[in-house]
Amino acid sequence: MATTTSGVYIHVIEDVVSKVREEFINNGGPGESVLSELQGIWETKMMQAGVLSGPIDRSLVQRPTPGGGPLTHDLNVPYEGTEEYETPTAEMLFPPTPLQTPLPGTADNSSLYNIPTGSSDYNTPGTENGSNADTESMLFIAATAFSMDKLNPRLDVNVAYEPERGNSNPQFTQDLFVPPSGKRKRDDSSAQYQNGGYIPQQDGARDAMPKANLDGNAFCITFVSDRKVPRDFTCSSSNIPQVDGPMPDAYDEMLSTPNIYSYQGPAEDFNDARTPAPNEIQTSTPVAVQNDIIEDDDDDELDDLESGEDMNTQHLVLAQFDKVTRTKSRWKCNLKNGIMHINDKDILFNKALGEFDF
Amino acid sequence: MDTEACRNDFIARSYVMATFELYRRSTIGMCLTETLDEMVQSGTLSPELAIQVLVQFDKSMTEALESQVKTKVTIKGHLHTYRFCDNVWTFILQDAMFKSEDRQENVSQVKIVACDSKLLTQ
Repeated sequence: MATTTSGVYIHVIEDVVSKVREEFINNGGPGESVLSELQGIWETKMMQAGVLSGPIDRSLVQRPTPGGGPLTHDLNVPYEGTEEYETPTAEMLFPPTPLQTPLPGTADNSSLYNIPTGSSDYNTPGTENGSNADTESMLFIAATAFSMDKLNPRLDVNVAYEPERGNSNPQFTQDLFVPPSGKRKRDDSSAQYQNGGYIPQQDGARDAMPKANLDGNAFCITFVSDRKVPRDFTCSSSNIPQVDGPMPDAYDEMLSTPNIYSYQGPAEDFNDARTPAPNEIQTSTPVAVQNDIIEDDDDDELDDLESGEDMNTQHLVLAQFDKVTRTKSRWKCNLKNGIMHINDKDILFNKALGEFDF
Repeated sequence: MDTEACRNDFIARSYVMATFELYRRSTIGMCLTETLDEMVQSGTLSPELAIQVLVQFDKSMTEALESQVKTKVTIKGHLHTYRFCDNVWTFILQDAMFKSEDRQENVSQVKIVACDSKLLTQ
């Protein structure tokens, strides 16, 4: 019998899956594989939420990788070198995991220390690096640990490496990225990349720090990051399609918006000048978007409480009640079979006694 | 006559065999809901089947809480808001203290949602 929260959850998952299995298999249902996928994703999400502890063997095998492949961290390393994957340093730095360990067979023939010096190596479009990138990146980090001088000065780690496997997890990338001590000759190698055309880069929110500034009538948000991103990407105001809500009245806007709207220009200028990356829109335009929706500033205290309540972030108790009584301002309740989510923890209870003062 | 009465009774009972959906708002419930939503969006799963899974989750969760969990908790705090609607109590507590056998948690604000346990047992 499971006694820990995690154990109970596992039991529930198993129970649900086994009871719906019949529906999945019979009557033209989607099949056992879909059921397994459902279970896998469910368990993964729960592990990510931190409520399921410990690896469950079968789910480790089935767990889908967010990057959609072995590439979990691309460190913008274009060189191929994997054969000598036996340096203890590399292993110490990045112990091989099922997701990350490269297979020797997948590597190209150049070795770790045979760092290519020819420009042709950098002109390879990312295709060859498909399964090698993680190896290369790990080895690259190992190499940097030894000495920067040994590295090819043309090696530019700041240029984006084309992610061919869909969205490689940017957060993962960020954690493992070790920038070289000097941003050496960035222009040199970046030129090589730009010769081949613009390399699309999809970064997460952590890659770039938004810097907002007010330039006269224009409100400009630029993203400053270590990566070299072509200037036109950050500064173009007309290439990024943007759909905004109904144009607010300038008067209403001044009344109801916070200080961020301290400029004098009309609303159109604001919209034109704003150039966030598409995935940054939430962080940079919340006020403008919500401006039209939230019209009443004088919320009740209760409304504040309710509007601030988000199911996932606030402390919540879900239970059944047996009895709720009140004597004057003293409330008592008997609860049972509850799930509590408080202080980022999940606690289950069979019985609870509540005493509240109103 | 008797059989008809029995049949009517059976039909009536079928309609009230509902589940407590409130556990879907828990972490495990939300994870399941998100998973099912993704799979329905991608067309892997039909919406009807997704609902069946959720209903089964309601039952399994309720049953697990009844039989697998033995913890007892006391809750104390200042009642800021109370509401009773559709047989559901909602309390908002402030400066609440949750004490169980081995630990204690304090929160500045917590929402308690409780359904009538008698609704399930017919």
